[in-house]
Amino acid sequence: MEHATESRTDIAVEQEEVVVRIRGLCKAFGSHEVLRGFDLDLLRGENLMVLGKSGSGKSVLIKCIIGLLRPDAGHIDVLGQDMLALRHDALDRMRMRIGFLFQSNALYDSMTVRQNLEFPMRRHWSVMDANERKARIMKALEDVGLAHTADLMPSELSGGMAKRVGLARTLIMRPEIVLYDEPTTGLDPITGREIVELILQLQRQYNTSSILISHDLNVAKLAANRVVVLHEGRAHAQGTYDELLRAKDPVVRRFFMAL
Amino acid sequence: MNRAAPYLGPMVSTTGYRDLIEEAGDMARFTGRFFREVLRPRYEWEELLRQAFINGYRSLPLVAVTAFIMGLVLTVQSRPTLERFGAESMLPAMVAISVVREIGPVITALICAGKIGSSMGAELGSMKVTEQIDAMEVSGTNPFKYLVVTRVVSTTLMVPVLVVLADAIAIWASYIGVNFKDTVSWPLFHQQVFDSLIFSDLLPAFFKSFFFGFAIGIVGCYKGFHTERGTEGVGRASHSAVVVASLMIFMLDLVAVQITDILGLN
Repeated sequence: MEHATESRTDIAVEQEEVVVRIRGLCKAFGSHEVLRGFDLDLLRGENLMVLGKSGSGKSVLIKCIIGLLRPDAGHIDVLGQDMLALRHDALDRMRMRIGFLFQSNALYDSMTVRQNLEFPMRRHWSVMDANERKARIMKALEDVGLAHTADLMPSELSGGMAKRVGLARTLIMRPEIVLYDEPTTGLDPITGREIVELILQLQRQYNTSSILISHDLNVAKLAANRVVVLHEGRAHAQGTYDELLRAKDPVVRRFFMAL
Repeated sequence: MNRAAPYLGPMVSTTGYRDLIEEAGDMARFTGRFFREVLRPRYEWEELLRQAFINGYRSLPLVAVTAFIMGLVLTVQSRPTLERFGAESMLPAMVAISVVREIGPVITALICAGKIGSSMGAELGSMKVTEQIDAMEVSGTNPFKYLVVTRVVSTTLMVPVLVVLADAIAIWASYIGVNFKDTVSWPLFHQQVFDSLIFSDLLPAFFKSFFFGFAIGIVGCYKGFHTERGTEGVGRASHSAVVVASLMIFMLDLVAVQITDILGLN
């Protein structure tokens, strides 16, 4: 890991609250080792981006954080809880504090947009008044500029609209941490930029901490306070976008040479 | 596992036996998980009712048409043979016993395997490959409980209901078939049918249809939940759900016949 950037992170960790702490994370699929001792700290209010090539294990990393995949070794602490020690119900409660935006948006295609947003609320806030629930859904849709789509089916939405609805569904439960899996993949550059700006706006509005997974340097430039380069299963380098842009490390250089 | 083998999956692949045993083990684990989850709260009543409506009520037209044709054809085709022995008066009894004991439950279950099993395989498979099942999990919902338990319970409860309705429709169609050549009143036909049926005709047939429903649900959900390789996998899940569920229905029927025989209910 690069020295200049390592010290910067250490100072930040000492001064600020760490909401996600990952140490020595390992995950293999058969003989293919994807993560080989990955370390990461996410600070409260921070937008951290994990940058890596396709197939480098970025999605595996965030799926381990949310508990969709179980790592082979390592520790994952989220909001002070050891995620790997949580049992079903406790894990479900913890997941309410973590939002996850899927690369494919993963909207339930048998439900309308409104029902998609209502689904987690009905299950976890069943005592909430129906009118209040409806108001919250409309507010979430207004926040992403799609109040008029409430009664549409996901198949009737464009890629950008589906991403916005996915974002609204992710944020409707007011999570403290949001994990974004390739938020701009499959979108044209203009829509991609709009989505990144929306993510930033909503992060300020909802006061979330975020981990963004992407290979898109524009996301890093626009949204990330800090960038971690994932290479060969480890955090190879980290720093701000500008620091990494100036880095001499050949692995980091290869990412930025494409610009 | 050799995924290249069509529909029957491991059953026709070169490393077939090992893959077949592995898949049987996976399915047994999946079934074990169903029994653990079905008793544990939270209970998904709303989704269960929705699934019962979809799998029961919406399957009724297809089952009804099939049962009607089945009763009619069985009557019309059996008449010449019975006439040869001068036993055409036995036609209502023969059709009723055939339909209630064997044809009704098996044909209804096969129709349901085709309709419900394939739709479950495709729906859950599609949800799997588009990460909707993962989305459900990260939203703090147990997808196994919400998607699998409700579907399996609904088919287990609805298939016997459909079987009873199919039996009734087939017997009514038989009445129409009998009257193509003869004139038999409904009360007489009704009396002949119910005089020929005894309790041990009804109970085993009704009881085994619960197992048929369970097999359709568990196979459809298993295939959907274990879908891999994108849309191609969805098609494969849908087809193999039908094939495996149909085979299981025949195997369960064979077991049920043996048990009925051992218990002296034949």
